[in-house]
Amino acid sequence: MARTRTAAPGDLLTRVAGERQTGALTVGGHPGGAVYVFEGRVIYAESSSAPGVGELLTSSGRLAGRTWQSALDLGASGARVGRLLVEQGHLTQGELELCVLGATYDAAYFVLADRSAPAEFRPGARHWLGPVVHIDAAAVDREVSRRVRLLDDIFPNPLIDVAPVIPVARPPRERVTITAPQWELLVQADGQRTPADLAQLLGRAGYAIIQELRRMAAAGLIEPPETRAPDSPEFVRLPQPRGVSVPLARSAAPVPVISGPEPVARHPPPHGDQRPNRDQRPNADPPPHGDPPPAPPGEHNSGPIRPPRLARRKPGAKLPKEMAGESPPVHQGADEVLLKRIRTALRALR
Amino acid sequence: MPGVDHCLQEAMTIPGAVGASIVDYTTGFPVATTGAAPNEDHEAAAAGTAEVVQAANSRSLFVSAVPHDLLEDLIITTAGGYHLLRLVQTEFDSRLVLYVWLDRVRGNLAVARRTMQRLADELVAQR
Repeated sequence: MARTRTAAPGDLLTRVAGERQTGALTVGGHPGGAVYVFEGRVIYAESSSAPGVGELLTSSGRLAGRTWQSALDLGASGARVGRLLVEQGHLTQGELELCVLGATYDAAYFVLADRSAPAEFRPGARHWLGPVVHIDAAAVDREVSRRVRLLDDIFPNPLIDVAPVIPVARPPRERVTITAPQWELLVQADGQRTPADLAQLLGRAGYAIIQELRRMAAAGLIEPPETRAPDSPEFVRLPQPRGVSVPLARSAAPVPVISGPEPVARHPPPHGDQRPNRDQRPNADPPPHGDPPPAPPGEHNSGPIRPPRLARRKPGAKLPKEMAGESPPVHQGADEVLLKRIRTALRALR
Repeated sequence: MPGVDHCLQEAMTIPGAVGASIVDYTTGFPVATTGAAPNEDHEAAAAGTAEVVQAANSRSLFVSAVPHDLLEDLIITTAGGYHLLRLVQTEFDSRLVLYVWLDRVRGNLAVARRTMQRLADELVAQR
């Protein structure tokens, strides 16, 4: 019975719930996501704009990453990850239920708020978390509509929910009062991170982030998205090309030797300037031990210059600080967020 | 292992308890409810609960008098009843409050407050 129907997400959810079906309601569009239904009751929802149960539990430090991972490995195929965590004593039933309830309503907002998004129902699909809570589908739908209204009551500009967050360079008043969550947002907003990025980074509910952002927009503390004119580039931090400006500032430092007597000068670079230019280390020349991150690929990596080899290190020794950190990621948080999402997506495929 | 429903059942055993719920106070949404609600409307009660918690939380007078102070309880007394709000502190990100409505005549404020403290702790603590 491989039915695929297209209708407004909320209406489709109500219909499959009325028929007491089990499966996944997948919704396209931005950000899209899925609502999982078990015998007509909503058991979970996920969306890329809302941190899932795993992100909430691990980013807060409530669970160690490996605890979560091993529960996933063990329980994902049998759809009993949630139960495992409680049975193994990592979480109380109350914590698990509250966390799943929070994550489900949070994701449901992002999945169901756009009533024009394409939706289809995949009967039989189960979520690896397993049924932890059973929520009335009509209550979910009602709550989503209420949350949409709540946001518009604060500050009616939905662009704030998706646009990169840019704090204003100068507050509009002499004295401003912000809450702790708003402080966290302002500290982490780098002009590129979207509200979804910030939610994943901070491990906070996506809706709560948007609420705070709308409040800050109302207070004039973040730039309203539509007035970000392209002719004011000084306020927009463009992504920096990686690893290009690094060698000029750092090339004077000698390559440090971690262990072993072999001095670096034994392998001077062919050019006379004695510069051990680390950024010209080709990718095809892996250091002897350890697994250092490869240099970012780029034209400047493929020159004819053979750089000095790395000093031999003990197995497991860390790469010298100067080399390991040779091209600091410009917006590490966004990368982490991306990695996390890829990992989550891969897990879901299992 | 006590879950959310168990916690609310226990709350209803508090002498004088008329209704109980767990409310997300950023959205004013009742995550779980049991028993009666003021005006027979748990959702409206939750919305009101949320506003009260936010009002207390956003007035630095109450929660910032000393560093790292935290809001614990809010107690509202009326001629006919007691309304007790106990913040549930989870390690992961959530903003939840346990709400119990007590009958004024049968309810005992001190007993109810201590029971709610235990329930809110047990809900999230390893035992």
